[in-house]
Amino acid sequence: MLELHSLSKHFGGVRAVDDLSLTVGQGEIFGLIGPNGSGKSTTVNLICGVFPTTSGAVVFEGQDITDAPSHRVVAAGIGRTFQNIRLFGDLTVWQNLWVAQNSVEERQTGWLTRWLGGQRRGRDYAGELLKFAGLADRANELARNLAFGEQRRLEMARALAARPKLLLLDEPAAGMNAEEVSQLATRIRALRDHGMTILLVEHVMELVMGVTDRIAVLNFGQKIAEGAPAEIRSDPAVRTAYLGTADA
Amino acid sequence: MLDDHLIGVLSNMGMISFIALSAYLVLVVGEISFGQQAFFAVSAYASGIASAMWGWPFLAAVLWGAAVAGLAGLLLAIPTLRIRGLYFAIATLAFAEMVRLALEIFTYQVEQDGELVGPNGSEGFRDIRYIYEADISAGEFLLVILALLAATLAIILWIERTRLGAILRMVGEDPVLARLQGVNVNLAKIATVAAAGLVAGIGGALYAHLNTYVEPKIFNVMLGVHGLAYGLIGGLGTAFGPLLGVALDIGVLESTRAFSGYRMIVFGGLVAVLLIVRPRGLLDEAAVYRIRRFLLRKHAGD
Repeated sequence: MLELHSLSKHFGGVRAVDDLSLTVGQGEIFGLIGPNGSGKSTTVNLICGVFPTTSGAVVFEGQDITDAPSHRVVAAGIGRTFQNIRLFGDLTVWQNLWVAQNSVEERQTGWLTRWLGGQRRGRDYAGELLKFAGLADRANELARNLAFGEQRRLEMARALAARPKLLLLDEPAAGMNAEEVSQLATRIRALRDHGMTILLVEHVMELVMGVTDRIAVLNFGQKIAEGAPAEIRSDPAVRTAYLGTADA
Repeated sequence: MLDDHLIGVLSNMGMISFIALSAYLVLVVGEISFGQQAFFAVSAYASGIASAMWGWPFLAAVLWGAAVAGLAGLLLAIPTLRIRGLYFAIATLAFAEMVRLALEIFTYQVEQDGELVGPNGSEGFRDIRYIYEADISAGEFLLVILALLAATLAIILWIERTRLGAILRMVGEDPVLARLQGVNVNLAKIATVAAAGLVAGIGGALYAHLNTYVEPKIFNVMLGVHGLAYGLIGGLGTAFGPLLGVALDIGVLESTRAFSGYRMIVFGGLVAVLLIVRPRGLLDEAAVYRIRRFLLRKHAGD
């Protein structure tokens, strides 16, 4: 579904992502892990067209989307969340979902209705998403007034609003307690059961090991291992680069 | 009913409101423009030429002036698309000065009834006589100004409630994130700057016809700075914000002469204080949200 071919991004002399190739299959929950600064978030940003690649290619469903503008990437069916929560604080919870939802769903309708439609349009799907995120009673609140956990959930709901086929989750468990992490794991599995493919970039090991089908490990921008969670756990290169220090 | 002074003040408030709304639109998409007076000027000239020299009817001349100003907005929007923040602000300032200096040398005159009519460089553009010829009083013209202002305001307020309104606010708050919601940020910015040119243009056309005379130096940077400041004072949460700014400055400070010669000092101080205390103005998004919720609750309670 998603293929990265020798993807590289150099910032000056720093090889943030270096010759990275991987394939995420349809319906998979794919984990991308690695120590701080190993290039995980950069990879997500390259896929989404936030900044240009140095070399290599991003192919999504057989379509080359390397360096495509972000709004095209979204239209192609890729959604994402951010490592640091990024919401439109001055818009309501509902409005945060509204724009993304319509940008894809109503592409068939004319631009006039798509732009100038009122608040009522497509309320059902956004309502469903709000329920999924546990925010149904907060719809008309300004996003900035939400509690931290609510903001994270809203971010995920917003990523879903454009009905992506592939969801990129950039450290969704950051700052969550154990209970919230287990709720998150439930949500991620539910999404996969709805036919979504997920690329999970994460630090929290219980989450990654618990929900993913396959994992790739990055270190200094390069892939040092790939395999099922059990294989990754016992891989000696990974242990020294990453897990070893975490276990100690 | 109204005395001449009051009519004059209200007319000025109405016309400058168009610049304030124009600057406000650009502020909504996250950019600062010191150059909206350029569109005011472009339309003042274009509409004056249409009515005084080509014999167009007044309303057609206003629409033509606004359309030309919108086109000028497009002309500014495309090359400045890739710059933002301070650089965008400087570019708008430079653009406006270019327009003003171009008008200083722009001469296009024809002979009418043995007299030369039309823009004559730094001498200005005299005899835009439509309101005398049609025998329109200042009070009647004030109604025209207010009607056009109300229509413009209604359209902007309506757009703010649509999805497009949410898109523009997203672009203003975080363009990278907006792009990731499937928003074509470039298109939104170009369209907004062009629309802002158009809005300022309506005001410019009215100005030219009310005063019957325009000259390039009227459209200097202070006009744009005021237009910009009104949104920053009044608030960026709703299109009523810039109008509140106009009302505070012209309606209170200037017309009551409360601070007489110190008015500009008070005005500048007001801007400075507000930028620190309320960076998005009196009617900012949070204030608008609270007011709306209060009104809805009251409505539901009835």
